[in-house]
Amino acid sequence: MPPSAARRQGSPFTGIGPVFMKELADHLSSVRMLVLALFVIAFGAFPVASSLQTLRTVVDPNSFLFLRIFTLEPEQVGISFVAALNFIIPLMAIGLGFDSVNGEFNRRTLSRVLSQPIYRDALLLGKFLAGVATFAVVLVALWLIVLGVGLLLLGVPPRGVEVARGVGFLVVAVAYGGVWLAISMLFSVLFRSTATSALCALGLWLFFFLLWPQLASAIVSGVAPGEIRSVEDYAALQDLAMGLMRLSPGTLFSEAVLGLLSPETRTLGPMLPAQMRGAVMGAPLPFGQSLLLIWPQITGLIAGMIVIFAAAYVVFQREEVRA
Amino acid sequence: MRALLALLVLLLLPVAGAHAQGDPPGVKGLFLLTDYPSQTVRAGEVTTIRVKVNNAGLVPQPLALALNGVPAGWKMDLLGGGRPVGSVMVGVNQEVIVQLRVEVPKDAPPSPHNVVLTARGPLGQQASLPLTLTVGTEAPARLSLKSRLPSLRGTPRSAFEYTLTVGNDSGKDLTVALAAQGPANFQSTFTEGFGSSEISSIPVEAGQTKDIKLKVTPPRDVRAGDYPVLVKVAAEGATAELRVTLQVSGQGRLALSTRDGRLSGEAEIGKASAYTLVLTNDGTAPVEEVELSGTVPANWKIEFDPKSIASIAPNDKKEVQVLVTPADKAVAGDYMASFRAVARGEQASADFRIAVTTSTLWGVVGIGIIAVALLVLLGAVVRFGRR
Repeated sequence: MPPSAARRQGSPFTGIGPVFMKELADHLSSVRMLVLALFVIAFGAFPVASSLQTLRTVVDPNSFLFLRIFTLEPEQVGISFVAALNFIIPLMAIGLGFDSVNGEFNRRTLSRVLSQPIYRDALLLGKFLAGVATFAVVLVALWLIVLGVGLLLLGVPPRGVEVARGVGFLVVAVAYGGVWLAISMLFSVLFRSTATSALCALGLWLFFFLLWPQLASAIVSGVAPGEIRSVEDYAALQDLAMGLMRLSPGTLFSEAVLGLLSPETRTLGPMLPAQMRGAVMGAPLPFGQSLLLIWPQITGLIAGMIVIFAAAYVVFQREEVRA
Repeated sequence: MRALLALLVLLLLPVAGAHAQGDPPGVKGLFLLTDYPSQTVRAGEVTTIRVKVNNAGLVPQPLALALNGVPAGWKMDLLGGGRPVGSVMVGVNQEVIVQLRVEVPKDAPPSPHNVVLTARGPLGQQASLPLTLTVGTEAPARLSLKSRLPSLRGTPRSAFEYTLTVGNDSGKDLTVALAAQGPANFQSTFTEGFGSSEISSIPVEAGQTKDIKLKVTPPRDVRAGDYPVLVKVAAEGATAELRVTLQVSGQGRLALSTRDGRLSGEAEIGKASAYTLVLTNDGTAPVEEVELSGTVPANWKIEFDPKSIASIAPNDKKEVQVLVTPADKAVAGDYMASFRAVARGEQASADFRIAVTTSTLWGVVGIGIIAVALLVLLGAVVRFGRR
């Protein structure tokens, strides 16, 4: 079709506001949302309670006490709060997004919505932004609960830099959720059946969490030379392994969180002995330096989210929606 | 009986002399012994004479002590264990020490006096000790003070130790007070011979000498030059003086710091960062040939400008620029570096904490990537938008 003929007047994002508000209202009032929130709280409460108990009884030399609530791995649980979030955020995002488009199609409301002066652009972006906003609301609430309980039980206020790092963690978590929301929306655009799109999204999630680490190490051992002669060889292999692992959004999230919530993290890759010499170990990095360290991860999450959304957008625009 | 015993004593005495070591088994009897039976006492003073009561092979009995021939006006007491005693009891082949305290009146004429001390037992055992006490004239106290090495040379940081010999040239024991007079802020202490405790006076027996040590510590910032110290010893009106000299040569002292004393800085990976070091000489002599060097983590570069300084005058400062370049592969974080300045016989060092920061270039690149992703989205909107 010639572009000039297909063009209509006005901004493509007209009507994004009503879509956003309606979707947000639907999400926040839905039973599915309630179940997902309970799921998150159940998964998060146990590690937080255990690490708070540990922090109350054991003297922690770390000066970033509040951040330890998030990163401490309690002995009884064996999983830290952020590790639990790393696992549970994709599930929540998939739950929010897997039927956002094909659900409407199957309920035959899509053509009705689109007969209003609302473009498809606005519909998809509004749905996406509403999902991200829902996400942010849940995460901020969770974060505030953790902070408040920490304040109550530890009796020390968090320092400014700890709050700043915590806010950075929130941003990263929302971006991570956005990636999975975009993925699930892409599937909901691709497949007409909600079950298929949910299955595909969950399959990808399981693939990245269960299969991908094994696959990455298998690839690395296949590529590895017969013998490793130098530290540089070993470091190169490590770099390859980490590069493969970083294709998984979960790895990007956990690395970004590590840099943000463990200020003493200097590097995410292997550190050569020559680089260790003269270094004052355990000294925390300034917030700006930590941010610079994990900037590629943050960039990857945000850019990945945008690109996947763009793909979903392109597919949706080319789709036949009349049913 | 008494005559018999005295005879026995007389008979046995040569035998006792022949067997000086230990108690010869054949000797029996009671003896009163003193080292100097004839001695000089001074008018107006108290003299103590040690008397040993020796029992050789007799059954122990209480022995009453008596003094005969005490001159008029004199006061003589027998002391045992610090208390006045009237009798002693000596075990078989043992001896007891009794002190005879003689107090001579001030106006006693200078003439000899005979005093007899007797010990008498209930069974008639008896021993006597004739003593001849001559009132002599009082010799005035006299002291001498000598030093083998009266002049020492050193730096402001060295301790000057003089060995002094105090001699008591008078006829009685003296307690000698020690004093040293030096320039202001010079610390002087006296120690005995090889001892370590500080003393302010020392007893010296009559006719003897004692070695004492005088240690003089000059203040750290003393200028080069000769400083006299006057040592005075005094006892009972007698004094002696000696002048010792400290030849202090100057010494430089290096200190390494920064202009505001802050020993930390920041450096970006791969870029040279300059810090200003300040070399201070707070000594008293110039510091010559100062060479600068530094220790930094592996693959870092370090340069000094200038690399060496010919001389720093006392109380003068010199500034040195140091350029530190972290290695290209360094990771962000804190590192320790140390800078050293070595001069002839002097050195100073400072540990410097360098916070390595990464370039913000990659941050900009990241934002660029996000911008590219947004552009892709925008392109899709332009291409497929408004359906």
